[in-house]
Amino acid sequence: MLNNYIPILILMLFAIAFAIVCVFLSKFIGPKNPNPVKLSTYESGMEPVGTARQRFSVKYYMAAMLFILFDIEIVFLYPWAVAYRKFIPNTVYYALIEMSVFIAILLVGYIYMIRKGALNWD
Amino acid sequence: MNYYEIIFYVFAVLTVVSAGVVVFSRNIIYSAFALLFTFTGVAGIYVLLNADFIAITQLLIYVGGIMILLIFGVMLTTNVTNVEITTQTLKALPATIVVAIVSALLVSTMVSTKWAVKDPISVESTTINQIGELLLTKYLLPFEIASIVLLIAMMGAAFLARKN
Amino acid sequence: MLTQQILDGLSKFYPETILSVTILVIVFVELFFKKKTRVSGWIAMAGLAAAMLFTFLQVNIPAQTIFFQMVAVDPFSYFFKVLLILSGFLIVLFTFLSDEIRSSEFKTQEYYALLIALTLGGFLMASSVNLLMMYLALELSSLSSYVLAGYFKKSNRSSEAALKYVIYGGVSSGLMLFGISLIYGICGSLDMFAISAYLSANPVNLITLLIAIFLMLAGFGYKISAVPFHFWTPDVYEGSPMPVTALLSVSSKAAGFAMLIRFFLVAFQNAGHPTITTEGLHQYITLPGLHWPEVIAVIAVATMTLGNVVAIWQDNLKRLLAYSSIAQAGYMLLAFVVVSPQGISAMLTYLAVYLFMNLGAFFAAILISNKYKTENIEEMKGIGYRSPLLCVSMAVFMLSLSGIPMTAGFIGKFYIFSALINNGYIWLAIIGLMNSVVSLYYYIKILKNMFLIRPQGDTGAVSFGAGYSVLLLALAIPTIVLGIFFGPLTKFAEYSVQIFGLK
Repeated sequence: MLNNYIPILILMLFAIAFAIVCVFLSKFIGPKNPNPVKLSTYESGMEPVGTARQRFSVKYYMAAMLFILFDIEIVFLYPWAVAYRKFIPNTVYYALIEMSVFIAILLVGYIYMIRKGALNWD
Repeated sequence: MNYYEIIFYVFAVLTVVSAGVVVFSRNIIYSAFALLFTFTGVAGIYVLLNADFIAITQLLIYVGGIMILLIFGVMLTTNVTNVEITTQTLKALPATIVVAIVSALLVSTMVSTKWAVKDPISVESTTINQIGELLLTKYLLPFEIASIVLLIAMMGAAFLARKN
Repeated sequence: MLTQQILDGLSKFYPETILSVTILVIVFVELFFKKKTRVSGWIAMAGLAAAMLFTFLQVNIPAQTIFFQMVAVDPFSYFFKVLLILSGFLIVLFTFLSDEIRSSEFKTQEYYALLIALTLGGFLMASSVNLLMMYLALELSSLSSYVLAGYFKKSNRSSEAALKYVIYGGVSSGLMLFGISLIYGICGSLDMFAISAYLSANPVNLITLLIAIFLMLAGFGYKISAVPFHFWTPDVYEGSPMPVTALLSVSSKAAGFAMLIRFFLVAFQNAGHPTITTEGLHQYITLPGLHWPEVIAVIAVATMTLGNVVAIWQDNLKRLLAYSSIAQAGYMLLAFVVVSPQGISAMLTYLAVYLFMNLGAFFAAILISNKYKTENIEEMKGIGYRSPLLCVSMAVFMLSLSGIPMTAGFIGKFYIFSALINNGYIWLAIIGLMNSVVSLYYYIKILKNMFLIRPQGDTGAVSFGAGYSVLLLALAIPTIVLGIFFGPLTKFAEYSVQIFGLK
């Protein structure tokens, strides 16, 4: 069964190798003629002032939370969809209702978020 | 050492080393990003255990979701870089002794306990079928309650995070 | 087969279903009809009343498990359901009557939904027979209590309380999860009956099992605030809105006890059959070699001693009540050391009594902070002359908490100590008695300030509305009456020791 994962493993190795090779390739074969202007952060731009790290707005956090909610919902939907066929024909309605209840409860959460303006950006 | 074991150790080292970075890094952003590798390493170990669904869940929810939430959480704090994590009482010696005793105890029980190992069953090509079936039958109640837990967790977090 | 199981389960799951629906209805009402502030409170009450009704319909239902051995419907869970609904109901009333909440731009919003969710979590904690279900129930009730503790978002104290609660709660539930995983590793099942069957049939590594038990105790201990998992209690109790504090000290604690009792009795018993001894008392058998009652005894003694000793130094009424509630948890744990139905019924009796006296004490504290704007005991000098009804009720609750005869608290303690003495734990009973004497000091200190010192400055009488007095009496009268006519309560407790899978 684990043999199914060999393509993924190969892909991972390729991804890592590609990243490493790209970084070093430009280092080795790129021409380098540094001067102070070239080394500035934005060539012929404004001099940056202060740190780039700022406090994020809490809105990002709300968006991320919504994302997780649906992430989890999808994770549960997936095995349900795969196993659904096994419930045909006798108990298919149960399988449907069970999932509907689950989704309905999470939908309440979604409506809650919308009404509370979690998705409005200002 | 066959190649399963090699892969296992690669993931195990990835997990442990990045977990170490999470704990010991002085920069909270580095900690957050190191956690990404810890989660990925654990996902790899799940794959080796034939728990493919759990591995996917780990990638989707932890690596994809929780990590983002965590990083946003870190970004919400005022002083992201160079946070001086200082404790008034750094009792290194007693802490080391306690940690040593606890880990010795855990390792010794891990080695000496006769764990309930299931008989090797012929694993289907995927566990998702069985998990889907169990969710709708045996584990129906926890499944439905989980949605209420999610709802409450989300409501609570949204309530606390909102301004007014 | 499948359909039958589910339909059968649903028909015995009405109380929980009603509570879940109530949560959803409250969320909707809050979202779409924002004008009326109390509407969701009334809906919460209606939901609780309906759940109570359907719980009562389960009174004579034979003990059984439903939903594929996830939760049990038995007299034991019935007892806790009644307790939790009663407590939830009173808390809604407290919320209506608390000035602290009315004055502080308090938005009902999620409050009642969270309150019901906590009750629902408690229901499931009391009835789960599967560790997975148990953990989920614990999380449901914990998550809602974290948010409730921080409900005054603008108050630093409240936010600090919530943060501390989350951190302690997260660590304890993580430890508990590790314990569950060890037990699963040993037994290969999360089902309590399967665990019990495995443990009584196979030799296991007792050290591993003990480690697992300690880790599980972290989760239970944090819920019931037993030493050494009590550190959050004073800060959280002090910072939370007062009705929430009352809720945490009763509902959360009761549900924690239910979970603790069921887990230890069902999972760590030998083959599931208590033996009948000659005196007609039967005793649950614990696994040979596994000394969990001794562990509980140590925790119980530490809990009540610490609670009582530290309470002496407290000036803030909420902090004092927090330490007092730690001590009370210690007394209840003491009864659990006697692993027998007598001990369990003593615990249940005490819990029921504790509901009235502790909620009463908190309600009196709410009223004091309403009218006198203080939580400091030193500033309560002479208020006994200004609001006699309030302070006499407070006296009743304090005396009951310390276990003076003629109050309900005495009956609770009496049953606990007699269970201990009957089973040969005389030294534990002596420690418990000594603790009661110590506790008398700080309970009396409050009364001394209220009654024995003349008020300075403003001495006008301060009275309350009729609603306040009625609720105060509704809590004070049972506290006295249960001290005299305790027969029905103890009968109910004795009946409620029937846990599915035991006996």
